[in-house]
Amino acid sequence: MASVKISNLKKEYGPVQVLHSLDLEVADGDFVVLLGPSGCGKSTLLRMIAGLEPITAGDVFFDDRRVNDIHAKDRNIAMVFQNYALYAHMSVRKNMAFSMRLKKIDKKIIDEKVEWAASILGLEPYLDRLPKELSGGQRQRVAMGRAIVRDPDVFLFDEPLSNLDAKLRVQMRTEIKDLHQRLKTTTVYVTHDQIEAMTMADEVVIMRDGVIEQAGSPMDIYDNPGNLFVAQFIGSPGMNIVECQVSEANGKLCATKGDLQLPLPSNANVINGQTIYYGIRPEHLQATRQASLAASDSNDKSITGVVRVVEPTGPEIHIYSKLDNQDVCSISRDRVLWAPGEDIHFIPDVEHVHLFDGDTKLAI
Amino acid sequence: MKTQGSRLPRWLRSEHPFPWLFPVTSLLIVFGLYPVLYSLWLSFYKRNPATRKETFLPSHNWSKLISDDRVWDAVQVTFSYACIALILQLVLGMLIALLLDSDKKGFGILRALMTLPLVVPPAVTGMMFLLMYDSSFGVISNALYSLNLLSPDAPILGTGSTALWGVIIADVWQWTPFMVLIMLAGLRALPKEPFEAASIDGATAVQSFFHLTLPMMSKIIALAVLIRGIDLFRVYDYVKVMTDSGPGTATETLTAYAGTVYFKSANFAYASTVALATLILVLVTATLFIKIFKVRF
Ligand SMILES: Nc1ncnc2c1ncn2[C@@H]1O[C@H](COP(=O)(O)OP(=O)(O)OP(=O)(O)O)[C@@H](O)[C@H]1O
Ligand SMILES: [Mg+2]
Repeated sequence: MASVKISNLKKEYGPVQVLHSLDLEVADGDFVVLLGPSGCGKSTLLRMIAGLEPITAGDVFFDDRRVNDIHAKDRNIAMVFQNYALYAHMSVRKNMAFSMRLKKIDKKIIDEKVEWAASILGLEPYLDRLPKELSGGQRQRVAMGRAIVRDPDVFLFDEPLSNLDAKLRVQMRTEIKDLHQRLKTTTVYVTHDQIEAMTMADEVVIMRDGVIEQAGSPMDIYDNPGNLFVAQFIGSPGMNIVECQVSEANGKLCATKGDLQLPLPSNANVINGQTIYYGIRPEHLQATRQASLAASDSNDKSITGVVRVVEPTGPEIHIYSKLDNQDVCSISRDRVLWAPGEDIHFIPDVEHVHLFDGDTKLAI
Repeated sequence: MKTQGSRLPRWLRSEHPFPWLFPVTSLLIVFGLYPVLYSLWLSFYKRNPATRKETFLPSHNWSKLISDDRVWDAVQVTFSYACIALILQLVLGMLIALLLDSDKKGFGILRALMTLPLVVPPAVTGMMFLLMYDSSFGVISNALYSLNLLSPDAPILGTGSTALWGVIIADVWQWTPFMVLIMLAGLRALPKEPFEAASIDGATAVQSFFHLTLPMMSKIIALAVLIRGIDLFRVYDYVKVMTDSGPGTATETLTAYAGTVYFKSANFAYASTVALATLILVLVTATLFIKIFKVRF
């Protein structure tokens, strides 16, 4: 096992700069999830850690060993590729056994390991098939199997569950987490799926356009997003953001946008006239039918919108409404039936409001 | 559109395949099928060298063929020639292709230069090597003399044990580039992801070659072997120009023997029989190869 350290890592494809001076440390045994929009450089970063992509500038360390010039085959890593990269002419069994066969491991142990991986991944019926005879999700599981039969220093996963159905995905998530808890192998895991990131990670790294926006424990990032991008990116449904102006009403500072008046936390570090982004997560926005209740809570005018769409998910109901020409989502755990077109009043949980500077977009 | 269509003769507007297939079919019949059938017919005649009369006697030439030691020698020479040349061309072709398979600057030019031997007419190649092997002034002979690998008493093409190798080397020089081209086309079309996966799995370059490159290229390699194999089997020009089957019959291949019987003894009937036997041998070998290696086109 090994820790992974990346310092000042840059990647350029000709004139295109894909990664800008990344710094990242993954402690030995940690499970780090890279999260970011498509094209932000997650795969590139992973492939550079693996040694498949030349490094333009900067260093990659495994423990204290600088591995920049060490060939991928000598880095002792296991990787699940985004495009699977299976060996088309080998059966599923041979695909998974390949690395062990190269190491001249005893045939019996290889068979055991392959059977074990196949049972975890539900691939037993397909062991003697060729990759072209499998569905996309099955192929992805073979790619997964090829990695987990190894005993590497570092696991690199590039969206390993993206092609599985919802149920299988949850199941595999648990298996991977369980595997990690048992083996404690350092893992870097790329995903688009927030739930995956939140549930599996010791540390989440949010990337955008080749830059790390924020890194931290999942809950920390969720509760204290460092900037507007992270706030919007983490959480599903996303945080409600309103661009507004700080102004004074009735001797108190509040955020206003047109007719809308939003209460500010008591300790908010803002000044009158400042432009801010006002953010609040859907679950901190209580919805009610009683205008009076809403009004009294927010001291002033009630915050009133019109219901557009109601999405019951089972445990909770997502209510999408229009508030002063702005889409707002709120989550309710009460089984109140809302109808589209109905008036809806909001009570924001002031202590959970996130404020961001209008210019720098950093958290205030 | 309509006016142009209606101006064409009716048979050219036909949906029926026959008018379109007719030209090539008739060419094949006249220049392919007819000569084969004619040789078959010829092979059923016995020629009397004295009277130059031919009498119909189907078993004569074929039984003569079976008991003709020169034929069996020629079969052996042909197989040796084809197998050795094929293996050399295959291995060299693959090695050179692996070296040239690069996107670095200058490799495009190298790949283009590689094809030069292919534009030399085979007979000219034969003459060129004949001169280079010459025991008094040939560069190759002289180089081997100075390395003490060859003595002037045993000229390459004049010695039974080396003559065939001499011819094979000319063939290899000319046709290896063809293999290189085919192998390069195959190599360049390989996906690169499995190779990345293999290096992650800890495979060295050599292991990747044997576990990935070769199996992934097997179809292309089989096709190249088939095309070159058939070509090598009917070698005539190099042998004719360089050794004329000699010394003795050391380099006499089946086609060379058929040529000798035809042009020197003017025994057209027996020459046709030998030529047909060659054809049958090629067909059988090629079919076996296709069956065993499951080549598909
Ligand atoms: N060979 C290349 N040449 C030029 N640009 C490239 C090359 N490979 C990748 N890029 C660019 O680098 C950027 C990062 O690509 P990368 O594959 O790392 O994205 P990603 O974060 O993995 O996206 P996704 O989530 O869609 O997989 C993209 O903008 C892409 O266009
Ligand atoms: Mg990617």
